[in-house]
Order: sequence, then C-alpha cells, then structure tokens
Amino acid sequence: MKLRNFLLIACVCVACNKSGAPEGKAATPGADATPAPLPASIVIGATLPLTGSEARTGGFYKEGYELAFEEANAAGGVSVGGKKIPVELKLLDDTSTQATAASLADRLINSDKVSFLLGTYSSHLVEAQSVVAEQNHVPYVNGGGGAIEIYQRGFKWLFGLLAPVQLLSGAIMEWVDSQQTAGKLPKNVKIAVLWENTAHGKDFRQGVQDFAKKHPGCCDMVVDESFELNGKDFGALLNKVKSANVDIFLADAHLPDYVAIQRQYITLGLCHKVQSYGARGSEKQASEALGKEHVQYILSSVWWNAQLGKAGSTKHFVDLFKAKFAGRTPEWYQAVGYETARAMFLGIAQAGSVDREKVRAALAALNTDSILPGGKLSFAAAAGQQASYPFVVQQNQPDGTSPIVWPKESASSQGVAPNPDCK
Amino acid sequence: MIDLFVSAILLAGLYATMAYGLGLIYGVLRIVNLGHGGMIMVGAYAAFWLHERLGLDPYLSILPVAVAAFFFGIGMYKLLVKRLPRGAAGGVQSLLLLFAVWLLLRNAAYLLFTGNDQTIRTSYSTHSFHIGSAYLSWNRLAVFAVALVILAGLHFLLTRTYLGKAIRAVAQNPDSCTLVGIPVEQVYSFTFGLGTALAAVAGVLGATLFSFNPGFGATELLKSFVVVVLGGLGSVAGTAIAALILASVEVFAILLLPSYLTAAVGFVLLVLVLVLRPGGLFGQRVLG
Repeated sequence: MKLRNFLLIACVCVACNKSGAPEGKAATPGADATPAPLPASIVIGATLPLTGSEARTGGFYKEGYELAFEEANAAGGVSVGGKKIPVELKLLDDTSTQATAASLADRLINSDKVSFLLGTYSSHLVEAQSVVAEQNHVPYVNGGGGAIEIYQRGFKWLFGLLAPVQLLSGAIMEWVDSQQTAGKLPKNVKIAVLWENTAHGKDFRQGVQDFAKKHPGCCDMVVDESFELNGKDFGALLNKVKSANVDIFLADAHLPDYVAIQRQYITLGLCHKVQSYGARGSEKQASEALGKEHVQYILSSVWWNAQLGKAGSTKHFVDLFKAKFAGRTPEWYQAVGYETARAMFLGIAQAGSVDREKVRAALAALNTDSILPGGKLSFAAAAGQQASYPFVVQQNQPDGTSPIVWPKESASSQGVAPNPDCK
Repeated sequence: MIDLFVSAILLAGLYATMAYGLGLIYGVLRIVNLGHGGMIMVGAYAAFWLHERLGLDPYLSILPVAVAAFFFGIGMYKLLVKRLPRGAAGGVQSLLLLFAVWLLLRNAAYLLFTGNDQTIRTSYSTHSFHIGSAYLSWNRLAVFAVALVILAGLHFLLTRTYLGKAIRAVAQNPDSCTLVGIPVEQVYSFTFGLGTALAAVAGVLGATLFSFNPGFGATELLKSFVVVVLGGLGSVAGTAIAALILASVEVFAILLLPSYLTAAVGFVLLVLVLVLRPGGLFGQRVLG
C-alpha cells in the first residue's frame, strides 16, 4: 500500500514537471518558441514626486512624460513588429520620499502588472527605486538620477538619461577657466563649494576637485562643506563662507534649498565674482520668491536648454511643448522627461516585442538621435548604462533671460564676470 | 565669531517661540501635544493666505492668526482632548489622538495648497543692515523682537495675573484647585488654546524666514522637544535659556563639524540631558 502511494506521488510529480517550464529553459516570459501575443495597449508605470519637497520639479517631469505619450498615441502608438500599439502611462505620486518611491514601484510591477517602468526624479529617489526594478527584471529608464553612484552597482535593467553630475560642475569650471584666460577673472581664485549630502552633491564636489587637479594654478577650494537636503537655516554655513573671503561661490542644491540659501545669502550681504547653484538658477519660481534682481548673474549648468532648439527634433519638441502648454517655453526638466519616455518607446520599437528581456537588450544597444546636447543618445555599458553628453551653462541676466554661455559652439552670449553687482 | 553669535541669538528667539506652546501645554495638562507641529504649519499657511489674498503683512497677521488659533485650540480641547483620561493612563491615547490631528491638518494643507514650497515675499524680506562686518536681517530682528514680547507677555501673565496664578496652581495640583474653587476645566481649556495660539504664531514667524510646505512643522516640533526638555518641562524662563543654548550649539558646531551634522548636535544634547539631568538643565519647575 505504502509503495503504491509513493509511486502515485512520484507520477504526479513527474506530470507536474512536464506541464511546467520546458527542461533547460527558464520560465521567463517571451522565452517560448512562439512569440507572446501582443497586448491591446502597453502599460508603462512611473512615479514622480508630485507632492513634497520636489513637487514642483515632479510636475515638470509629468508634463514631459504626458507630452511624449500624447505624441506617440497621436501617431497610433508604438510600432511593435509592424503593428502600432497605444501606450498608457500609469503615474503615481511618490511624495518625494525614498520609501514610497520604492514601494510604489513594487506595486506597479506586481499589483498593477505594468510592462515597463519610467523613473522618478532626483538621484536619491532613483537610487532606491531602481533596486525594485532590478529585483523584478523590469526595464527601468529614468531621467531623474544623475549621480554616478547609481550606475556603479552593476545593474542590468537600469538606464539613465541624465549625464553624470561631475560633468555638470566641470562645465561651470570650464567657463570660469575661459574667463580667466580672457583676463576677466584672476588666476588662482578661491572657491567655496557647498554640496548637498547626497550622491549628487558628492559628484558635484568631485567635478570641481577633478578640474582643480587637472588645472594647477586655476583655483583653490578653501571651503568644502556639505549640508542636509531640504534644510531651512543655512546662516551658520554662509557665515563660514563669508569669513573665508572667497571669489567663487558654488553650491549644489535642489530648487527648495537654492531658494532658501539664496535668501539668506542676500540678507548676509554676500556677493561673489561668480555664483552658481549647480543645475538650479534660472527657474521662474526662484525669481518669483526672491525677486529678479536677487538671482541675476547666477550661473546654472543644465542637461538641456530651449535655445538649442533651432532645428530638427529639438525644435520639434519645443514647438510641440509650446502648442500644448499655451506658449510656455520648456525647461530642461520637461525636455529630459519627454526624452526619457521617448527612449523607452524606441527601446520597445527596436525590440519589436513587449518581452522585457528583449526590450532591455534593445535599450542597451540603443544609439539614436536625441534632443539632448550633442544630439545623440546611448547607454554605454562601460558607464553603467548612464548616458553621457556635454552640459550647457547658462547665466541669468538682468532682463530675465538666461542665455547659453558655454560651450562656445552653443553659446549665444559670453556671459558676465565678475558679477558687476559686487561692490 | 560676532556674526555667529548674533545668528545664535536671533535664532534662539524663533526656537523659544516654537517651544513655549509645547512646554505650556505639557506643564499644565501633562500632555505631549504632537499636534503642535501641525499648528506651526497652519500658522505659516494662514500668514501666507492673508498675505496673498488680502495683502496683509505677515507681522500684522500675527494677531488675527493667534486669535483664530486660540479658539481653534479651545475647540480642539473641548471636542477631543477633554475626553482623554487624565494622568499616565491618557498618555498613549493623547499621543495617538494629537498625532492624528497633525496628519489631518497636513493633508488638509495638501488639498488646499498642494505640496509645492511656498514663500512669503515682502519688500523687506531680503533687506539687511550692517554693524561693522556683521549683517543683520531686518526680518530676523523682527522675529527676535516678537519672541521677546511673547516671553515678557507670558511671564507677566503667569506671575502677575489671577489667571496666571490659577494656571500655575493647576499645574501644581489640580485636585486641590478644585477644592478651593479654581475652575480647573476652564484653566485647561484656556491653556490649550494659548499653547495652540503660540504654535501658530511660531508658524507665522517661521514663514517670514523660510519656505514651507505641508510637511513644515516636523523639524520644528523636534527642536521644540529639545528646547522644552533642556529647559525643564514647564519652565518659561528655562525654555528661553534652553532655546539660546540649542541655537548656540547648532550655530557654533559649524566650526568643528560638517554642517550636515550640526542639526544632530541638538539631539545628542537632548539624550545627554535626559540621561544626566532628566528634569532638564533648570530642574523640574512650576511654570514661571
């Protein structure tokens, strides 16, 4: 009797094994010989900080995402194996917090069953969220994480459109160097670098340090201080900068911290020959909160500028954006958001399938024209699948414009140095 | 050094204003008011709304905001807090209830004002004057002046008026107060209203200096805890001195530590005081 039971169980087990995955093949979707049927629509999940400290920037990325989805669907959808399939964006608010960004990514993948993920905004959120995508083997394309550290973890499913932050501060330093060569700024300038205590901030500082090492006699970093993200009182820190009597003030800050620091900077009577808040500086919200006269001559080094849109796909994007948003000129946030979604669509189209592994491989091999500076987009494996292209340095002017001042080939103005407001 | 010293004194004014309400409510009702952070945020948004809609200067909005918050506090006491068991038995319930109030206030702010950072910009927001090499912001000076007026007013109320004496008596022994005819419930109600109004005023002052969003008040609540515990629970003068100590430690720590660690210095101080002098630096004293 016992032997009969044992044989029965053994037969059931064998039968189960045969009805499961084919031997020698992983039971991954799309691994079957017959291609999976194409869905009626492709659902792409995303989270953005629509509330909380990064809400304003999150809103800008949302505009970019929505524009890209509208454009794709207006053309019938994304072409997959010769058939147009509409794309659907499932967007959730991660409230600018790491834990929520990660848990919502998990929900999108495992509960809402989205096919792919678009990333959130800001390096520290992308860093946490991308882990979930990697664990679930879901292609994750983001335009919100620029810190190199995110891409040094050997992740296969992570793709980043923001060029490394080290290049950001490097571009500002190149402009400073050009002004020194032109005799507008003295040699061996003293620099204060304040950086947010995140991977983004560390990269910013590293960029300045690397430039100083490569260009002896250019500059001396005499203040090197970090601060907590979303701080309120920067008085003590700015007093330290004041007592160091530096020529150049460089800070790496997100929009809320930029406004908070600059407000206290002004009331402390500070003024430097060159001033920058990294990628922030030209935002309308800052001039509204501080007054136009208090943000003039601030430099910002950004991943995109609407002035690049004089022809081709960049002009197409600018025109499309203006048509949808009542003539408003896009900033780099919307442009990167748009291009992030577009990169995902291109990956799906080039894969000719909605199979995650095939789309991942297509994204890894992507080399396409782009609206980003340099005009090309690819995700080099050597850089951990983080895109790389030159930054654009712009400078706020008293008339409220922010012309490109660097690199030379894109510049519409030489820029002003030293700051004429400093007495 | 002079710049740092001036910064510390001016910052202490704001810290003290943030902490008075929390200390007062704990001193009399023995309730840790977690809704305090929410009321700081409400005060900031009230000043913002009055400034944007009616063009009212934030310093002129202090009085209407304080009065509205006072009655809101009394309403909250009569509707919610009064129903809690007194003494240690009500400890956990009061924490949960007032935390829920804070969450409600925060989410109401998200609905009404979105999560975007807001700032109050006035003609004098960025104005300053200098004495020697030290620059002084008019705004910070005004905040400090308001903090001094509040300190003097509270001291006068608690030491020179019948109501103040009643508050102190209730803080010492509510049962005996009932025996001698002091209306204990009314004193509780008034104190909760006053503490709530002080939190809202701190929010108005904070909004003149910093940008804020519905999350505003969380860090302020923690700093208020540090100040109240340092000063000794229920001590107004101790609260003011503790605010100066916390502000000085935070400001001068920049000379020794990376700036991102300076905020933590206050909490290290809190732990040290709780371990070494649980009654606070100035002892467990009765109000005033």
